[in-house]
Amino acid sequence: MDGLEEGKEEGAAGTKSPVEAAGSAPLLPLRLPCQPVSSHEHKLNFGKSKEMCLNFIQDAMLQKQWKRAAEFLTFYAEALEKDFSREYMGPSEIIWRVGTEILCHHSHSSMKEFNSFIEQMKTLGVKRYLKVCLEHSFHLLCNGLIHEAYQNLSLAESWRFGEQRALQDKEIKLIQAYKGLLDYYRWSKQKNILLERGQDGLEDLSVEQEMHSYFRKAAVNLKEIIKTPGVWDIFVKCYVDLLEFYGDDEEARQVLSEYAYNSKFPANPNAHVYLYQFLKRHSESKKSLISALKILHDLVPSHELMIDFNIMLQKSKKRKNRRLGLEVIFAVLDYAGWKENVKAWSCLARQVKRIVISEKHLDWIKQEWNSRKDWWTPFHFSFYLAKKNWQGNENLSYEKALVSGIILGKDCKYFRYVSHEGCKAKVKRFRILKKFVNKHSPVHLRISALSDSSVQS
Amino acid sequence: MEFPATLFPSSFSTGPPREEGGPAPAAGWGEFGQVLETGPGHQQAETTFVPRRGGMGESWEPADAAAVPFLPSNATCWVPSLVPQDILYRSFLRRKLPISNCVPAMDFTKQLSHFFVDHPEDAFGSLGQLLHKNFHLGDSGVEREARNNTIRMTALMEEINRLDARRGCPQEYLASRLRWFSHLSRDWLFEVPLGLLADCVHEELLLQWAGLLFDDGPTGGTLAWLPTEDAGARTGRLVYPGGQAMNHLYFQDVVLEELPRTRGSRAEFELNGRIRQVAAARSDGKDFVGVRSDYHCGVWRVPGRTGAAPTPLQVIRTSVPASCLTVSPHLPGELAVCTQSGSTYLWNVETGLQRLRHDPQTMFFRDHSPWRWCDFTAHPRVLSCADRTGLQCLDARAPKRCHFDLFKVGEEASCQQGERVVLPMYLGKAHPSQHLVTTQFSIYVVDERLPLVPVLKWLHMMKSPPLFAHLTPGDPGRSHKLLLGASRTQEMLLLQYQGGGRSACQLVGSPQKLHNIAGCLEHLPTQLPHRHCLLQQRLGTPAAGLAAALQKDGRRESLVVFQLSEAGDVFCQRLTHEVVKHPAPTSGDEAMASSGSSLLFEDPASSPQRLGSEEEREEEEEQTSYLSNLQVIINEEEDGGRPASLEEAEPTQEPCASPQPSPVVLSEAAVLRYHRWLKAVSKHCGEPPWHSFPPTRSQKRLLTRKELQTLGGASTLHQQARQRLHQAMLERGRIQHWDLPDSQSSVILQPPEPVEGPDPLSARLAAAWSGDWSQWWEERTSFNRAKRQRALRERRRRQKQARGHRSLSASFTSSLTYQSELSELSDTGLPPLSPVLHQEGSPLRGSPPPSPVPDEALLSSQSLRSRGIPKERRKTLRDYLGVWAEGPPEPPELPSSQASQLCIPSSQSQLSSASQTRRKRPRMGF
Repeated sequence: MDGLEEGKEEGAAGTKSPVEAAGSAPLLPLRLPCQPVSSHEHKLNFGKSKEMCLNFIQDAMLQKQWKRAAEFLTFYAEALEKDFSREYMGPSEIIWRVGTEILCHHSHSSMKEFNSFIEQMKTLGVKRYLKVCLEHSFHLLCNGLIHEAYQNLSLAESWRFGEQRALQDKEIKLIQAYKGLLDYYRWSKQKNILLERGQDGLEDLSVEQEMHSYFRKAAVNLKEIIKTPGVWDIFVKCYVDLLEFYGDDEEARQVLSEYAYNSKFPANPNAHVYLYQFLKRHSESKKSLISALKILHDLVPSHELMIDFNIMLQKSKKRKNRRLGLEVIFAVLDYAGWKENVKAWSCLARQVKRIVISEKHLDWIKQEWNSRKDWWTPFHFSFYLAKKNWQGNENLSYEKALVSGIILGKDCKYFRYVSHEGCKAKVKRFRILKKFVNKHSPVHLRISALSDSSVQS
Repeated sequence: MEFPATLFPSSFSTGPPREEGGPAPAAGWGEFGQVLETGPGHQQAETTFVPRRGGMGESWEPADAAAVPFLPSNATCWVPSLVPQDILYRSFLRRKLPISNCVPAMDFTKQLSHFFVDHPEDAFGSLGQLLHKNFHLGDSGVEREARNNTIRMTALMEEINRLDARRGCPQEYLASRLRWFSHLSRDWLFEVPLGLLADCVHEELLLQWAGLLFDDGPTGGTLAWLPTEDAGARTGRLVYPGGQAMNHLYFQDVVLEELPRTRGSRAEFELNGRIRQVAAARSDGKDFVGVRSDYHCGVWRVPGRTGAAPTPLQVIRTSVPASCLTVSPHLPGELAVCTQSGSTYLWNVETGLQRLRHDPQTMFFRDHSPWRWCDFTAHPRVLSCADRTGLQCLDARAPKRCHFDLFKVGEEASCQQGERVVLPMYLGKAHPSQHLVTTQFSIYVVDERLPLVPVLKWLHMMKSPPLFAHLTPGDPGRSHKLLLGASRTQEMLLLQYQGGGRSACQLVGSPQKLHNIAGCLEHLPTQLPHRHCLLQQRLGTPAAGLAAALQKDGRRESLVVFQLSEAGDVFCQRLTHEVVKHPAPTSGDEAMASSGSSLLFEDPASSPQRLGSEEEREEEEEQTSYLSNLQVIINEEEDGGRPASLEEAEPTQEPCASPQPSPVVLSEAAVLRYHRWLKAVSKHCGEPPWHSFPPTRSQKRLLTRKELQTLGGASTLHQQARQRLHQAMLERGRIQHWDLPDSQSSVILQPPEPVEGPDPLSARLAAAWSGDWSQWWEERTSFNRAKRQRALRERRRRQKQARGHRSLSASFTSSLTYQSELSELSDTGLPPLSPVLHQEGSPLRGSPPPSPVPDEALLSSQSLRSRGIPKERRKTLRDYLGVWAEGPPEPPELPSSQASQLCIPSSQSQLSSASQTRRKRPRMGF
């Protein structure tokens, strides 16, 4: 290590002779040859040593040797002197990236040092100026320095440099959006203060005015960013919150439906969730809620809201909706992530039980079962799973046994194992379950018969 | 299955990628990407933010200084794989060009000439037989009566030899005689028409080159780890290929200890082709192992408990090479297969194959690669299909109708131009709806509920594209460990990410490089240079797979990572992690965590491998000295030689060769493992094959034949030696002792040049070195004149002699030289002229030097007949032997067996010399 320490001093002073420098072996390739060489060769050697130095840095960083990487970086800074490269990523960008990473992890780095480093980096390249600013603000935000981050963002927003600003359009939009977000947090802070004081019966005009000014700043910036296609969950949420507070529900609804249904935007499930939650908050009609969730179901059949959707549909008086409910819950249980979810299984069990008792719409089950009969048995109702579920979660095995007993009959391995174990353990509900399935055993025959005939047809 | 309530912001646009890029060296560092507000809500006084990348991760410290051999080396001999040097054209002219302009030039002529030399019968068989009577190869002129139908080819041969010696010379010129001959014979000399042959060779070369640049055959890797059913057990099973052609499949029970060790004997299956991929997944409590070779795919079932034997279930054969085989984690006995014709099949052991898709075209834009991949998704009936342009999900129940795009190489995922999918992988063990997509530049984590927009993207900065990946899922609240492995450079990276359920996906911790197989070379005991070279080659073979096993031991966790090389070596390394009391540095404590993060990484006490202070290093050196009987070479950072060697190293080897700041000693167990592995390697592989060394330049290439002749023919000592050789050959015996009367006998065994002083080239070089080159030239010209006169005189004398008896004598010089070259190169070769008993039983020792026997005795028709050589061959043989007398034989590019035959100066040498000339003959046409 001491060789490297020595190297560091050298880099700072830059006056040692190459002979002395030879003592620190790993740094040797970084030295420029002292004898005169042709300019072309010189450039080549320089590039080569630079590349090698970068390799050392990279290697050290990947092994989490931040100190070592920092030492090498001091030498890599030489590369800036002759930045002829027209490569995709020049030395100045590399220094920015590597330096930031090292300072994030280095044990002796402080926020002050980090800030001064970044300030230097900002002057190094105008093409990246806004990106560096944005990343700097992120760093400040993650370290809880929200005020500093806000200042930084405002400074970046006001930056002008000929065409460069227009070229970095993406970054400027993000900078404005994050500034808007911070304004929103300030607004909500003021709002909370006002609400607390309001409860006490006090009113403060200046706080209120401040709050409104924050609202205006935030609303302008947030409104801007959500116009461009993208995933803007946090901005949309905040903007809708602002609008709702000031009672502009119509605008809020428009923003949300634009975010959910504009085809230029990616198919973000959250957009539909926000719309659904908005509709629910404003106690919209069942019909509109169902249609919102229906679209989410088409998009993401495995979404967690589908449980709520199924419950809502089961309660519905319309046959069509109850039919949809069965479809939804079957689709949910197709997914591996729901395989052991008791709530989903109990929803299915309840609905299947209801259909069997009423003996109406058995064909619904048949239709759903038809496309699943070849793989649901090994996927859900294998003997291995019966044992595992029984040991792991009794409730789950109860619900699953009910479904398998009705659909596959009482000879199904899953049902047989679980009901046997349940009766052995003298759990009452399993005895009832067994009776129930035995009583309705013809249902299973009807399901399989019908599905067979449908296959033939 | 929860979906994150808020996702990290990102903008979205469509179309082809706009960003021009390329492999950027440090692109993955220093970016947070985006931040997201977390915490219980903004009612609190302070809002906190988490970054998309750069959050606090777990620290996994390597337990050893290098990867340790896990199994004894692959038992059978190993054939070194193709390297670029084998097929690239290398001349110093080309080497001088800047690298960027260097278009790879295949050494096409070298390959063809190899073919002509190695398979002369196939190349020129029939015409060679027809013409051999009409071509005279001797030094003498053609006799008058034979002149009608025989031509003298000696001069042409000489020119060819000279041409060979001048390869790479900037002023290479083609003699008119050669041009004339090739012009005349190009159309009819070859057995296979030259154009056709050349086309085939060229095509094959291009294929080989493409394979060297990027070989997608081993995508997915051929190593699989099957953990045992109960989580507490420290056992598991490793599935790996082996054997000379990597066509044996092994199932080996493994116990995870400080260093994992094997338990019991392994189950072995011999397959019908090289194993390209081993895929495994567990469903219904049983492991299903799919094995892909080029034209066959097979599936094995392995019961979850230890010791149970694997059962082969089914094999399918494909007419086009298969490019992918994945095993369903949902349904037992279900697999997905892709072939290079663009077909995707769902393969169920019970119901058979179902074709889901057939499209020779790529999905989103045109790409020439026939590579296809498919994997399973959260829905057991929905499969993700991939080609180089992206991923699409399709429903196996209605594959034509129900599909959606999951990932597209384009602006949607903000890809770079030229980016291509390299390996997709289903990350179901971490989160049921997540997929990994790696390209040569980046890794993406894609959620199938939010298609097209990657939830995570990171530029991985690896030198060659990651072909292997392994996921070790973390418990709730902890990070998932993702291992990426490259093939050619053996790089391995450990990444950590978390989220996907309640919280948005984040890359946490900093990426970490793991030890690769090639890196352990410096921990091996010192080797002889050629063995070192062999080991370097062996350890540097491309990686063929990776696997990892998680072992929990109270608060201490360790991750055992296995890496397999194409030579069949399995190496392992252990990473350890102390589980802290507050394992999940999520949301709320982020600010605190990030301020403390660097401390955690840097604390020297926490990591045994980071040794900053001098005392600790000394302590370590002491430790190593205890192990001195095994001669462990410790990586010395201050070793001045290493960076210099690094300068010359291939760019791909740079990262592993860079000096380590804190050398760590290997544990004693590891050292023992190395020792055992080395022993096995040297036992099985023995000496390196001849062709693995660059051929040494024979003196023939430095000096012309005439120079050699004059030099060799001068000494009377040589004459004597020659005579003894003849004598021995006649008596079919061997020379036992060179007990020549004078005391100079030792000189005889030396190459002939030093007798006369330094050869012209070295003299010239020496002169140039000391700076008085012009003076040397002066001397040389005057000396040359004298020498030429002397040589002329000598030749006349010899010609007179030769007219009397055509002699083998001139060959002596050359065979002697040859001998010494051989003995230098190999220590397996026979010691030069070893003392053996005479064949008739009478030892030659002490017998007076026999009188010179005329060569007619050897070449007379009687003696030839007595050796069973047919009449029509005798003249040819005589001519050939005449040639043999002319010039020194070829440099030793033959296998050692042939070469050692050549050095036995008994009757065998006739046969071998005949075969030697027969090998040479077809080269005339080339």
